[in-house]
Amino acid sequence: MRGADVARLSPAPEDEAHAWSQLMQEGVWEGRVRRLTRDGDVRVVETRRHLRYDASGAPRDVVEYARAGNRPDGPVPDRLMAASWEIDVAPAAEILSLIAAPADGAQGSERDALYRRLVQTARIVEVNERTARLVGGNRGRALMAGQSVAAFWPVESRAILAELIVEALRDSNGGGCQRRLTSDGILRDPLVTVWRAGDDRPGRLFVTVNGAADDDRSYLFLRASEARYRKLIHYMPVALWQVDASHMGKIYAELRSRGVTDFERYLDDHPELVELAATSVPVTDVNRCAIELIGGAGVQDLIRPVGYLFTESPASLRRVMIGRFSGRRNYSEFMKVRTLDGRVLDVRFSVTYPEPLIELDTTIFSLEDVTERLRMETQLRQLQADFSHAARVSMLGELTSSIAHEVNQPLAAIMTNAETSLRWLARDEPDIGKVAQLTARIAAGARRADDIVRRIRGMAVKQAPEAVPLALNEVVQESLLFVRHEIETRAIRVATTYARGLPPIVGDRIQLQQVIVNLLINAVQAVEGLGEAEREILVATATDAAGGVVFTLRDSGPGIAPEHLDHIFDGFFTTKAQGMGIGLAICQSIVAAHGGEVSASNPSGGGAEFRVVLPRARPAA
Amino acid sequence: MPHVPTVAIVDDDEAVREALGDLLMVSGLACHCFESAADFLAARRSRRFDCLVTDIRMPGMNGIELIERLHDERARMPVVVLSSVLDEQTRMRALALGARAWLAKPVTDAHLLGALASAMGSAGPDTGR
Repeated sequence: MRGADVARLSPAPEDEAHAWSQLMQEGVWEGRVRRLTRDGDVRVVETRRHLRYDASGAPRDVVEYARAGNRPDGPVPDRLMAASWEIDVAPAAEILSLIAAPADGAQGSERDALYRRLVQTARIVEVNERTARLVGGNRGRALMAGQSVAAFWPVESRAILAELIVEALRDSNGGGCQRRLTSDGILRDPLVTVWRAGDDRPGRLFVTVNGAADDDRSYLFLRASEARYRKLIHYMPVALWQVDASHMGKIYAELRSRGVTDFERYLDDHPELVELAATSVPVTDVNRCAIELIGGAGVQDLIRPVGYLFTESPASLRRVMIGRFSGRRNYSEFMKVRTLDGRVLDVRFSVTYPEPLIELDTTIFSLEDVTERLRMETQLRQLQADFSHAARVSMLGELTSSIAHEVNQPLAAIMTNAETSLRWLARDEPDIGKVAQLTARIAAGARRADDIVRRIRGMAVKQAPEAVPLALNEVVQESLLFVRHEIETRAIRVATTYARGLPPIVGDRIQLQQVIVNLLINAVQAVEGLGEAEREILVATATDAAGGVVFTLRDSGPGIAPEHLDHIFDGFFTTKAQGMGIGLAICQSIVAAHGGEVSASNPSGGGAEFRVVLPRARPAA
Repeated sequence: MPHVPTVAIVDDDEAVREALGDLLMVSGLACHCFESAADFLAARRSRRFDCLVTDIRMPGMNGIELIERLHDERARMPVVVLSSVLDEQTRMRALALGARAWLAKPVTDAHLLGALASAMGSAGPDTGR
């Protein structure tokens, strides 16, 4: 037999044409064929054929498993090759009785709605491999069981299926009803047959769909690429959820057609729509990583409405919906998710929305566990805060004599004024007017001392950095107060240029003051060795071309040694005898934590220039 | 008519100057306040002071430089330092240059007036030159 033409094994090769075409299209065929034995007898053989592909995806050969059939002879039974379903309509008993009610009861659209509900409510008991292959996605037969028929049946022919169900249930002899459908993108002109399972199993129906795959040429490649895609998805090291939000898409389209444009406000008024999405948008598939992340024994534990992903962050679901409504391609945010065993994880949650005009409505969620990363970031932030506090305290140390002087001035005035008052009061004719004047001065002095102490305490205490809108000009002015005495006693000229209408920045006031004070102290130290006339510091604020907010500080000192330029922001790099070398390193880390940059240069006119660029505050979302 | 001693006060801080001026006035002393050492030196050309109370940390000429200048000029006017400078070296320098007292801010009235009295009691009025 080796080398013989397959057609010569069959008594009627044309009978098998359909079987071969299905094999080529779908890669698998199962059924009954007739075979010629060597002595010319005809045998019926139960056959299973698998098509194998080469590395390029082209069909290579066919493996056929066959055993002698013990069933009666006959043509290749279509039912074996059909996509078969067993469904349970018992849950739809109420709907069926409404449909069965007097003919004038349910008309037109009302009846259509009942049909839709019927298919929605009917449950899948079991399907064969071909059904799973054609409409099951990669859920497989096992996962289709128990789900709504509507979750898999093409939407265009659901009403016809419902009609057939109703007819089959009415049909007294149980012979079944048939209807040929128009091509639905899956099968070409499929023939649907529905019949009752038998009186011992009320409510159970069998459904078969016969037909060749719709697109001869591409189906195989689609399947091959889909298989690769599924494998890829399954082993992707990112937790993925496939979600079918098609009915929400329809709701959005309808809202849009009704003129709803401000969807956020619409959701404010209709919070039930978010609830509907949480309870009705089904997860249709998840990958291995998703199970590892969320827990559960298997895929089936995660195949349910999406609400479980949003129990910790309900507002996230709302934003996902807004993203789709506004036609975005994707959306991403950080949120919290509760695992099936009750742990709460920080995740980066991303959505890829279905592309418009592409029929399949598949939304993909991906979740990336960032709990550990956030924990490390928190620790790093804490460490950074600790270091910047240490650097602040050390910086205040450099200002000790200025601070003592500054605080003592108002205290000295207060003490002297108080004692002078007592002297006036001790006179035979106390001068009340004079005492009142002195008391007013005491109050003013106390306020001044309080302001100074408050400012210094702000620098000295350890507190978690805040992120608040700030005006850079104010921060610079406050920073200058810290070094006012250093500057005045050294007769340093300070020229300030404050840009008008500077956009606000976001950050921690104390930390940014720390940066500026630190740079100012360095500048003071850079110029104090010069002759009095040459001691100059230029402070300016501005915006740059990219919209950043800029602080520049230029001094008339000797500049930065060229070999130091690349290192001055390194930790423990110092040119000062008593310096620890953390000041500029901390400045850089503070600026970086604010999303900005600090740089140093020796401008052509001499001296050193430090430039801090901070991002402008985003307008409130 | 008894001679009313006149005290010069040099301090860059207005509140401190005003407070000291009032205290000396109510204590029966005449006083003149100056914002800077330079202002004081200028005024000293045309009039005499019995005593000088000066701060140390000041813009322009600081207190030590002022004391050095007076020392170089061999001025006999007693000087009392009233400052919040904590530096021991600076204090030693001021005292070595002839300052009669080094008082730390803030100071009690008794302390200041006592120092002024003892400074002026042991020295003749400054003649300016």
